[in-house]
Amino acid sequence: MIPGVQQALMNTFQYMLFYLIFSIPLTLSYRTTKVINFAHANFITYGAYVAIFLHGLLGLDIMSVAVVLAFIVTGAIAVLNNTLVFTPLQKRGSSPAIIMISSMGLWITYKYLLYMITDVARYYTAKNFVSYGRITYSDVPRGSIVGISFSQALVASLVAASLLVALLYLFLEKTKIGRAMRAVADNPSLAEISGISRPFVVNLTWFICGGIVGVGGVIWTSFSGAITPEVGDSAILQVFTVGFIGGLVSLLRTGIGAVLISTIENVGIAILNTYFGIPVSFRPFLTFVTLITTLIVFPPLGAGGGLPYRFLRRGSRK
Amino acid sequence: MVFNVKSIALLVIALIIGLAIGYGIASIVGGGMVTTVTVTPEKKTYYIGFTLPLSGELSSIGKVWEKVVQLAIEDLNREVQAYGFNVEFRAVILDDGTTEEKALQNVQSLVQQGIKVIIGPAASAQVKVVKSYVDSNKIVLISPSSTAPTLAIPGDYVFRTVGSDAGQAKALATLAYQEGARKVIVFFRNDEYGNAFADFLVSYFREMGGVAIKLSYQTGLPDYASEVATLASKVQSEGADAVILISFDTDGANILSHAAESEILSSVRWFVSEGPHGAGELLSPAIGQFASKVRLFGTRPLFIANPLYEGFRDRMKQKFGMEPGVFSENLYDAIKLAGWAILRAGTYDGEAIRAALIEVAKTYYGPSGWTFFDNAGDKALQDYGVWAIVPRAPEGYQFKDVGLYERGSIVFLEEAYS
Amino acid sequence: MIGFDIVGFMISWLTLFGIYAILALTLNLESGTAGITNFGKVVFYGVGAYVSATLTAYLILILNGVDVSETPPYGIRGIILLGELGNKNPLLNIGLLVLSLVIAFAVSGVLGYLLTYPILRVGPAFVGFTLLSSGELLRIFLQHYEPVGASKGLMAIPTPFGWIADSRLREVTYLGLVLGLLAVTYVVTHRLVNSPLGRTLRALRDDEIAALCLGKHVPRIKATILFIGSGVAGMAGVLLTYYLTSVNPNMFVPAVTFNVWAMIILGGFGNLKGSLLGASVITFVDRVLTFVTPQLGIAAISPDYLRWVIVGLLIVVVLLVNPRGLLPEKPIRTPAVDVILEEFRGESK
Repeated sequence: MIPGVQQALMNTFQYMLFYLIFSIPLTLSYRTTKVINFAHANFITYGAYVAIFLHGLLGLDIMSVAVVLAFIVTGAIAVLNNTLVFTPLQKRGSSPAIIMISSMGLWITYKYLLYMITDVARYYTAKNFVSYGRITYSDVPRGSIVGISFSQALVASLVAASLLVALLYLFLEKTKIGRAMRAVADNPSLAEISGISRPFVVNLTWFICGGIVGVGGVIWTSFSGAITPEVGDSAILQVFTVGFIGGLVSLLRTGIGAVLISTIENVGIAILNTYFGIPVSFRPFLTFVTLITTLIVFPPLGAGGGLPYRFLRRGSRK
Repeated sequence: MVFNVKSIALLVIALIIGLAIGYGIASIVGGGMVTTVTVTPEKKTYYIGFTLPLSGELSSIGKVWEKVVQLAIEDLNREVQAYGFNVEFRAVILDDGTTEEKALQNVQSLVQQGIKVIIGPAASAQVKVVKSYVDSNKIVLISPSSTAPTLAIPGDYVFRTVGSDAGQAKALATLAYQEGARKVIVFFRNDEYGNAFADFLVSYFREMGGVAIKLSYQTGLPDYASEVATLASKVQSEGADAVILISFDTDGANILSHAAESEILSSVRWFVSEGPHGAGELLSPAIGQFASKVRLFGTRPLFIANPLYEGFRDRMKQKFGMEPGVFSENLYDAIKLAGWAILRAGTYDGEAIRAALIEVAKTYYGPSGWTFFDNAGDKALQDYGVWAIVPRAPEGYQFKDVGLYERGSIVFLEEAYS
Repeated sequence: MIGFDIVGFMISWLTLFGIYAILALTLNLESGTAGITNFGKVVFYGVGAYVSATLTAYLILILNGVDVSETPPYGIRGIILLGELGNKNPLLNIGLLVLSLVIAFAVSGVLGYLLTYPILRVGPAFVGFTLLSSGELLRIFLQHYEPVGASKGLMAIPTPFGWIADSRLREVTYLGLVLGLLAVTYVVTHRLVNSPLGRTLRALRDDEIAALCLGKHVPRIKATILFIGSGVAGMAGVLLTYYLTSVNPNMFVPAVTFNVWAMIILGGFGNLKGSLLGASVITFVDRVLTFVTPQLGIAAISPDYLRWVIVGLLIVVVLLVNPRGLLPEKPIRTPAVDVILEEFRGESK
C-alpha cells in the first residue's frame, strides 16, 4: 500500500465533490444559454467572500446563513450579467466568441472589484481579508466514523452535492419549469414556439447556476487553509476541464470528469511522485495536459459546433 | 463618421471621468491618512521614491510596509531637524502589483521626476528587472526584502538591507538539527526564493550530518491539500522526523492548517522560514494548537532583544494597530539610511549618494541591527531570531521571539512550549 | 514635484507602447480578422523572450571562451561574467539581436503553426481555453527547466546597444529599433488584411462553414495566420527581453494576454489603426497613473485595482455600446476593389 493513501483518497473524494458543485452548474448554464462564462470564477470567489465578510465583519459563524446569502448574492450577479450583458449581445447577434470576451471583461471587473472591497474593509477594520484563514462553523457537525474523520467541509459538501444531484434530477425531470429548461437547452426556437418564455427560463437558469456555485464557495471556506480573492481564478481551469470532459452538455459525463480530474490531481501525482520521482509541483501541469488531451481526443461535439473537417477521418456523426 | 468621432470622444471622456471619480472616492476613503505638512519656503525638500507591493501576491505585507514608510519618514524628519538640518524628506509611494514590468515602469517614473534614491521593489525577480536601468542611470536602489543570492553583485547600485538566504538557511538548519531532527523533508515553494533557500538548507543540513529530502510545490494554487497529502506520505515512507517549510504567508498558513488535520504530520517536528511570520491567518486556534503540539519554531532575520526593535514594534502597534510584518524593520532602516546618505552626500546625485550610503551604513544601527554592507551591497551582518506561536493572555495566539542564532548554535531565551 | 523629464517619459512610454502595439497588431490579425480567439498570446511572447535571453546569455559566454557547464549564465558567477563581457563587442551584440529576432520568429511561428492542430479540432468556442492552458503549461515547464534558469530565470542579459556609453542615446537607439519593428509589423499586417487573403479571413471569422463551402482551405489559412502572428509576437518577446534585460517565468501570466485583448477591443476589433490607438491609450494611462497616484497620498484602495476594474468595464461597455471600438473596421482596400469602384463610378456617371 502506498503510504498516506488514505489521505490521498479522502482528498480525491473531497475535491470530487467540489468539482461537482462547481462544474455541474457550468454545464447546465452552457446548455441552456450557450454562453461560455469566464465570470464563473467570480461565483466561487464571491460565494467564499460572502462567508468571509460575514465572519470577519459581523463575527457570524453559521454556515446555513452564509449559504443562503451567498446563493442570493451570486445568483443575483449571474442574473445581472445576463440581463445587462449577455442578452443584449445575443439579441444583436454577436458571435459566441464576442460573448465569451465580454464575460472575460466581467470576470476582470468583478475580480478587482472584490479586491477593492477587501481594501476598504481592511482600511476600516485593520483585518487582512486578502488572505483569510479557514473558518470553523458552529452549525456543521464533524467527527469520525469507523476511523474515517469527517471534516466540516466534507460533511457540508457531501450534503450539498447530494442535494444538488437529487434536486436537480427532480427539478429537471419532474417539474414543468425544469422540463421547460431542458426544452430551451435542446431547441430554443421550438421551445419558444411552444409557449415557453425563454428569457424567464434563461434568467432562472443563471440564478440557480450562479447560486449553486456560490454555495460551493461558502463550503470552500471551511475546507481551504487560506482563502484569497484569487481562489476562483486558480480553480477555474480545473472546473472548466471537468466541464469540457462532459462536452459542456452531458451532466453524467461532467460527473465522470469530476472523478477523473480529482483522481489525477490527488492519486495520480502521488503515484508519479513515489514511483517516477516527478516533483509535486508538476500537479497543475497534469491538469492542463488532461484538459488539452481531452479537447484534442474528444472535441466537445455539442458545444464546439464542429466543422466538417474535424470529422473527416472519423466519418460523420452516425 | 460623426458617430465615430463622437464615440471616440465619449469613450475617452468616460475613461477620464471614471478615473477621476475613482480617485476621488479612493482619496476620500483614504483621505484621513494623508498627512499634510506645510513647508516653509526656505526648507529644502528631498524626495525618496518607493515601489511597494500594495497589490498582487505580496500585498499582505505591502499594506503594512506602507505604514512603516509613514513612520520612518516622520522619524527621519524629526531626527534631521534635531541635528539642525533645515530639510524635509518626503515619500513618493508607487504600487507595483508585485509584477516585474510595473516595477520597472515605477522606477522610470520616479527617475523621470528627478528622484535619485528608490526603495523597493520587494521581490528579487523585480529587482533583477530594474537593475540595469538603475545602474546605467546611477540611481541608488535599496531593496528591503530581496534575498536571492544571484543578486550579490559587487559594484552596482543595488543595495539590500537584509542578509542573503544563505545565512538564514544555516540558522534554520542549525535550529532543526539542535532540536533533534536528523532526517527532514524540506517542503518549499517552487520559485526563486524557495529553490535557493532549499539548496542552501539541504547542503548545510548534510554538512551537520543529517539527511534532507527536497519536496517542492507549485505556487498560486487555490489550495494545497493534495500537496500536504503527498508531504504526509513522503514523511511516512521516508521515516522523517521533521518537516522544514519554506513559504510565504498565504501558502504557509494554508499548508499548516491542512497539516494540523493530518495525524502523520502532527507527529513530526515543524520548522518554518521567515515568510509566514506575522501573518494573521497563522494565529487561528487550529494552527495555534498544532504549533504547540509539534513544537513549531521558525527563524527570521532579527536581532533579538534589540531595544530599538522593541520600540519600533510598540510604536507600530500603538500608531497603526498592527504588528510589523516580515522585513518591516529592514524597510525602516533602508529609509533612514537613504535619508542620512542624502545629507552626507551633500548633493542630490546618485554617485555621491551611493558612496555616502556605504559610509553611513557603517555606523548606523537600527531596529534591524547594524546595517554594514558587504562588498556586494548586501547587509553583511544579519542576525537571526527564533520565533514560535504561543497563546496570548485572554484568548488567541501570538508570535513570539524566543531565541537567537549565535555563533553556530541556537540559544533559547525562554521556554516557548511547556 | 522636483521636475519632470518629458523626453525620458516619452522614450520609456513609447518603448513599452511599441512592444505592446506589436502584440496588439498581431492579435488583431488573428482574432479580429481571422476569428481565432487567441487567449494564449503570452505563449508566443514568452517563447520569443526566452529564446533571445537564452541565446544571448549562452552565446556571449561561449564566444568569450567561458565553459558554460562550469559557470552557467543563471549562476552568480555567470551573471557577473555577463556583466563584464556583455558590452565589449558591438558587432557581436547586434549580431545576436538579429539572430535572436530570426530564431524567435521561427520558433514562435512554428509553435503557432503546430497549435493549429488542436485549434482546428476543438472548434472555435474552445480555442481560447486550449491556448490559455498552453500558456500555463509553458510557464510551469519553464519553472522546472534548469538550463533556462528554472524559477530563477535569466538576468544581466547584454543588450544590443549596451556599448553606447550615453544612457539617453542608448535608450533612443533602442526606441528606434522598437518603433522600426512596429512599423514593419504594421505594414505587413496591413498588407495581409487589405488583400484577397484578408477578405477570406473575414469570411472565416464571420462564417467558417460558409467559407469552407466556398472552397477556402480553412485549416491552411488559419495555420498561415497563426504562423505569422505568433512569429511576430515572438519578436516582440525579444524586444521585451532586451528592454528588461531579465526574464522570469512569472512574467508570462495570462494577465498579459488580457491586457492586449483590452487594447484591441478598445481600439476596434478588426481595425489595425485601432490596435495602435488602444495600445497607446492603455500604456499611456498606465504611465500617467504612476505620476498621479503619489499626489493623492495613501489611499484605501489600491489604484491598480481601480485600473483593472475600469479596463474590465471598458471591455464590456465597448462591446455593448459600440462593438466596433474606437476605430471601426473598414472595408478592405485592394487594387482590385479600387478598379471595380472606379468602373462603378464611371458607369454611374
